Amino acid sequence: MPETAPRATQTSPPESMSIVLDHVGVTLQERPVLRGIDLVLEERRVGIVGLNGSGKSTLARLLNGLVLPDEGTVRVHGLDTRTQARAVRRAVGFVFQNPENQIVFPIVGEDVAFGLRNIGLPKRDAEARALAALAAHGLDGLADRPAHTLSGGEKQLLALVSVLVMEPRIVVLDEPTTALDLRNRNRIRAAIAGLAQTAIVVTHDLDLVSDFERVLVVDEGRIVADDAPEAALRWYRENRA
Amino acid sequence: MSPSLYVPGDGPLHRLPAGAKLAALAGLGVALFLVSSPIVLGAAALAAAGVVAATGVRLARLRGALAGVAIVVAIVVAANAWLAGWREAAAVGARIVALVLLGYALTLTTRTSDLLATLERLLAPLERIGLADAGKVALAVALVLRFVPELMKQAADIREARAARGLRVGPVALVVPMIVRVLRSADAIAEAIDARAYPPCKSPPTSAIPSSTGPGSADHDNA
Ligand SMILES: Nc1ncnc2c1ncn2[C@@H]1O[C@H](COP(=O)(O)OP(=O)(O)OP(=O)(O)O)[C@@H](O)[C@H]1O
Ligand SMILES: [Mg+2]
Repeated sequence: MPETAPRATQTSPPESMSIVLDHVGVTLQERPVLRGIDLVLEERRVGIVGLNGSGKSTLARLLNGLVLPDEGTVRVHGLDTRTQARAVRRAVGFVFQNPENQIVFPIVGEDVAFGLRNIGLPKRDAEARALAALAAHGLDGLADRPAHTLSGGEKQLLALVSVLVMEPRIVVLDEPTTALDLRNRNRIRAAIAGLAQTAIVVTHDLDLVSDFERVLVVDEGRIVADDAPEAALRWYRENRA
Repeated sequence: MSPSLYVPGDGPLHRLPAGAKLAALAGLGVALFLVSSPIVLGAAALAAAGVVAATGVRLARLRGALAGVAIVVAIVVAANAWLAGWREAAAVGARIVALVLLGYALTLTTRTSDLLATLERLLAPLERIGLADAGKVALAVALVLRFVPELMKQAADIREARAARGLRVGPVALVVPMIVRVLRSADAIAEAIDARAYPPCKSPPTSAIPSSTGPGSADHDNA
């Protein structure tokens, strides 16, 4: 089976509504990690799959400027991640694989409020919005709990809520279900399904992205398949399993 | 359970503003160093225990933390007894106990965010003359409070893993893997803080979302 060619840039919606990677290359410690990536993402649900070390996380990190391209440009809603990093961070929320490392404050409610305080919200408003966001994801009642006493699933949901409360237009999630049991995995899956915004999900849990609009397969720093989930995942299973 | 954490409640100490508690702690702290009578200091330690009891927090929650303090106090007292005699040792021991207990009473009854807000206010004058970045200090304190319990848990995990292999756990065996773990997570934590719009913008929020393609301000981090 021939490798699926990356999609042509379709009759495009306004550039301001999409993520555009133009000839992007990333080199980390003298090793090329991503090469010649051309992408236009405008779907509301995009999955990214691929083997360990293929470059998925690096690709995801490019989208909110945690990694900057060594070649080419990354534009999110028209914002250049290199020169407009702050605005890009506001537009793109990032949920990391290990929630442990992204919970910053000792108490759950305070952690959710942290990002809101950073964007200048007064304490009271930040706290009220934090409570509302926790409640929206079934975590009300945990607001006063020390974060380190939460279960793994609750921590991952907290990490997601702490990002969502900032109302980013795009949410990037890097392996959000890896450490979770079936029930918590389904909670995260439901939370993603319910998101109003664009979600880009890196995962080894192929089922998680099976009902997405588009799936990318990354291999050795390149995008080797880019299609509807069924076709892309079939390509991945047949060629890389 | 870590002592560094707020326990919800509505006792008198919970209702007292963070600034007042912080000021009282500072004042009493200085006073404790001005007094040298072991009897007075012993009474102060007892009174401090009374204050902790008045927070209404169950003693069981403090047991682990108190055990740690007891070891430190025992070492300090023994050293002082050896070097300076029992009178001095008793005074030093009682002073530490009183201070630690008052510190617990503060952190048990005060939300971290309130504590940090007060700290930021106190540091504001220093910030104005360019001597300190109040926000950074506050974040650092928050991170310490957040990760101390995590570290204690990691220490327990390492101890358990070694015990499971029939190994004894000396301080070196504990400290080395912990430093490795801390350094490994430090980068990830820094990245996560970055991703959540830190450092804060000082201006009030405009629209929640950057709206257009306009040439935004060039940013700080071109790593
Ligand atoms: N900071 C770094 N310095 C040097 N090399 C790095 C760095 N980060 C990642 N790499 C390398 O880049 C390659 C791609 O890493 P990346 O984390 O993007 O892979 P991944 O697809 O997310 O893998 P996994 O499925 O294991 O998470 C790997 O070979 C990795 O070793
Ligand atoms: Mg990865």
